[in-house]
Amino acid sequence: MEKEIEYLLQLLVTGLSNGMIIALVAIGYTMVYGIIELINWAHGDLCMLGAFLALTLIGLLGIDSWTGPLGFAGLALLLVTSALFCGTLNLAIDAVAYRPLRRAPKLTLLVTAIGVSFVLVNVGLFWGGLPMDVFSGGVAASAPKAFPPLVPATPLIGAEEGVRITLRDVLIVAVTLPLMLALWWLVRCTKLGKAMRAVAQNPTAASLMGIDTDRVVGATFFIGGALGGFGSVVYALNNGTISFQLGYRVGMDAFVAAVIGGIGSLPGAVLGGLLIGIARSMSDGYLETRWTNTLVFALLIVILIFRPSGLLGLRMKEKV
Amino acid sequence: MTRERLRGTRRTRSAWGGGRLALVLLLAALLLPAANHLVGDFGLLDPVKAIFLYAILGLGLNVVMGFTGLLHLGIAAFMAIGVYAFAILTADIYPFQLGFWPAMFLTLPIGAAAGFLLGAPTLGLRGDYLAIVTLGFGEITQDVLKNLDTITNGTQGINPVPPPTLPWFEHGDQGWMLTWYEFQKDAPLPWYYLFLALLVIIVVLNRNLEHSRIGRAWMSVREDDLASKAMGIPPVRTKILAFATAAALAAFAGGLWASSLSSSGEPANYDFQVSILALCIVIVGGMGNITGVLIGAIAVSGANDIVLQKLFEWMQQNGWTSTGSVFGSPNNWKFLMFGLALILMMRFKPDGLVPARRRKGGAPADPGPAAESSSHEEAA
Amino acid sequence: MHIRTLAIGLPLGLAAAAAALVLTPLAAFGQSGSQSGSHSGSGASKGVLKLVSSLPRTGSANAQTTTMVNGIRMAIEEVGGVIDGYEILYEDWDDASPQRANWDPQAEAQNANKAVRDKDIVGYIGTFNSGASKISMPILNDAGLVMVSPANTYPGLTKPGMGEKNEPKVYRKSGKINYFRVVPTDDLQGAVAAEWTKELGATKVFVLHDRELYGKGIADVFAKRSTDIGLSVVGYEGIDPKAANYKSLVTKIKSTGAELVYFGGTTQNNAGQIAKDLRAGGVDAPFMVPDGCFETAFIDAAGAENLNGKTYITFGGLPADKLTGKGAEFRENYIKKFGTEPEAYAVYGYEAARVLLDAIDRAKDKDRESIRQAVADTKNYLGTLGTWSFDENGDTTNKVMSGQTVVDGKFQFVKVLGQ
Repeated sequence: MEKEIEYLLQLLVTGLSNGMIIALVAIGYTMVYGIIELINWAHGDLCMLGAFLALTLIGLLGIDSWTGPLGFAGLALLLVTSALFCGTLNLAIDAVAYRPLRRAPKLTLLVTAIGVSFVLVNVGLFWGGLPMDVFSGGVAASAPKAFPPLVPATPLIGAEEGVRITLRDVLIVAVTLPLMLALWWLVRCTKLGKAMRAVAQNPTAASLMGIDTDRVVGATFFIGGALGGFGSVVYALNNGTISFQLGYRVGMDAFVAAVIGGIGSLPGAVLGGLLIGIARSMSDGYLETRWTNTLVFALLIVILIFRPSGLLGLRMKEKV
Repeated sequence: MTRERLRGTRRTRSAWGGGRLALVLLLAALLLPAANHLVGDFGLLDPVKAIFLYAILGLGLNVVMGFTGLLHLGIAAFMAIGVYAFAILTADIYPFQLGFWPAMFLTLPIGAAAGFLLGAPTLGLRGDYLAIVTLGFGEITQDVLKNLDTITNGTQGINPVPPPTLPWFEHGDQGWMLTWYEFQKDAPLPWYYLFLALLVIIVVLNRNLEHSRIGRAWMSVREDDLASKAMGIPPVRTKILAFATAAALAAFAGGLWASSLSSSGEPANYDFQVSILALCIVIVGGMGNITGVLIGAIAVSGANDIVLQKLFEWMQQNGWTSTGSVFGSPNNWKFLMFGLALILMMRFKPDGLVPARRRKGGAPADPGPAAESSSHEEAA
Repeated sequence: MHIRTLAIGLPLGLAAAAAALVLTPLAAFGQSGSQSGSHSGSGASKGVLKLVSSLPRTGSANAQTTTMVNGIRMAIEEVGGVIDGYEILYEDWDDASPQRANWDPQAEAQNANKAVRDKDIVGYIGTFNSGASKISMPILNDAGLVMVSPANTYPGLTKPGMGEKNEPKVYRKSGKINYFRVVPTDDLQGAVAAEWTKELGATKVFVLHDRELYGKGIADVFAKRSTDIGLSVVGYEGIDPKAANYKSLVTKIKSTGAELVYFGGTTQNNAGQIAKDLRAGGVDAPFMVPDGCFETAFIDAAGAENLNGKTYITFGGLPADKLTGKGAEFRENYIKKFGTEPEAYAVYGYEAARVLLDAIDRAKDKDRESIRQAVADTKNYLGTLGTWSFDENGDTTNKVMSGQTVVDGKFQFVKVLGQ
């Protein structure tokens, strides 16, 4: 009996730690969607590039050999650099690719985002082909790359018996939770947040009120991208392998999480991410792995049938 | 450009331009094999045959996305259902062993039924929530096909799937006799013309549907859900009908696909990427416009299968490639070029290469505020 | 406006036709150009014979197929690009497409049809994925064009009774055998892996596969053979190769107390991630994988510290550094040319090309049928993988399997298996 409870708890821990990462990426999705109603297809691939940047930095600076307080500094450096990089890149992509299409049909934007996603995937492929040691000399550009275990998977509890909680699980919570809270504060309590909410509600009215819509949308892209950047480093630290195609599943999970939670809702994205993480973990643990995807998507469909606007989404009235 | 001109040309383009363009395309498609024969073999028949298939798939998706305005991210699932339905109905390891034509006709109701089953409980959902249900259905279908290997043969695929047949007169011992001509792998022309003919039939069918009562109902739901409800058009039932029609056409494309490969392929061949490809075909061509979908299929499928392929072959033959570095091999540039092509096409033709006559905003189900304001301007 | 539609819409649509019109003659020039350019003065006068390979060159398999293409190119260069007065040209075709990021059945069918139409082509090297061969084999069989695969291991492609009921004759309508492979099939490799597992002393095994033709096929054989020789299979799971990690699965594996974990699959289907998660999750049981992971990229992805000493890899043949005679020569040349140890796939690619070139040399007439016959007649061929023949099914008689482990982040040969 005790063994079974342990088993369940272990699956929960895994589900939560995976779910936190999904949630972080899902926030980027949901923010952009909330403001310009774009399913930002390239978001997952943007995160992929963040992870590649982090790996490059490790190779250039030798961060994997830093120890003690310096090691922490190294981690912080990776997180911040990747976040800035992804945020800026997202901002640039918006300016180049999406902004000229602001008035175009929504699906035009979607196809542009799909195009951007292809381009980013290719950039990732090239990146993995750079002649650096961290990319194995770039011989096999498309092969998965090992991300050094900067944070060891040493169990804090449960080394031999019992539920195993590792330093990595703690790290995930330590990074994602403050970020989520900070974001919530930003959206709720700052002027920029207010402007964002206004633009999300009605861009025309917001611009009539003197809000610079382009700047607000840009800021949203930056923040969403930056969160994806944080997420990518945490993802890489947690899993230890990155590949130029990782954006697909990361993006897909995050997208589903954002929808389950209710598109446009920040707490919803977090809830959706955790839910998916746990559902995947439970299915792997109690059912068969090969049915996990089916189960997750079936869950999604069932939730939407009963809660058509997601778990925490606003039930919008049909516009007349 | 003045507003009058814009509106005027839009009407002209749809009434004459689209149709005329479609005729030009048809003529080109008819003459391509002859040109191939006279001028030299460009190896275009196969890629163009694939374009016909993608065009049928795109036309199916266009019913949901273009006519009815619902974002659909799982059309590949219905194609896969068509592939496997056709394979199971015809292959000799199953008890049915129907011929090509009965099985092809059956893919239509089977696809429609699958579309209905998915659509009925979910079509009350709005916009992107519906989109993700279709995406989920696509993933589920692929997994189920993979996992239920006692029925679908799992990753093995189903082999062989029979080629098309046509009634044929043959001179035998007792004079002229009616027999069945079975398409051969080494004779590409019958395949080409059969696929072209089926595509033309589906184009005509689509055109008639568009102008029928149902088609008008679809478009009214697209333009305004509530208003059409007020006019006595049940939105959900109308949407289900569109969903089922799209699924039927996709399944039909799937049946043809399997027959042309003489194999079901693997379930992984019908993954999300295929749905995305079909989506790009519809949007790049111009949502809601039948000619647009045809142009979209040529542009999107041809961009890789013909243009990139020929370019890279040529580079290779000139020794401009190397396998030493990731940059030297042109294959490693394909994602980039395909992505850029999509971005550029959308940047310069945001309404698609051949836009439909009247698209309001283009948002599925509920136009966002931005789209709404632009349509107000138009009305003003 | 109508003109604008044409001006912008048609170029894209007709770019296809235009590109073909412009490029085809150019391509012809390009051909003759390279003919005189690279092999001038080698006495190639009788004509041109072409080899093509159809492998997934776009997407994640690119790393493996690149080494194969290297091997093929090297084989052709070694004979100076000329056989018996005929110039040998080679083209590297892609059966994957960017939209799919994976092998694409339409692309494979198009490649096969294209090869059939080009009368200069006398040999088709491919495919990488066994599923792709199911598509192209019947097309090439109709045309009597010989096909040598450097990678397909699915038994049903050649061996009656090993796959579906109607395999392999469904792929051979002409009745002639046109498909050959230089790699041993899954039914052999999976079985010796199970026997090796028993030797290693494990009794409880957990079997994973990537739900693809290759991975599932070999895992099924492994599981069946394991049961037959008295091991207990405590778990059997198909994984999702795109998942971010397998921690929950590892929790499950841990709870079964498995003494060895077998994964039927490839590096690109996340073998490295599984190894990582096993160790991070506290499972110390050995990890065994088939030749789909026998490449440095697997060690790179998994991290040497997760593999050292507790990983076993089976491979259909001897590893390059254990080869003698021709094989050792090949290894030397390969290192000289590309600066790296040849991977398993490079050897296979090289061997496939060499056996084709050898057959072309022996064929009386340089037409497809005689060359096909010459390939089928390959007997006691002294190649890099040893001395072997093609049997009546088109399979290699080379049944030497080797087992390796990972020591200090490098593959290390352990023993010859299955003898």
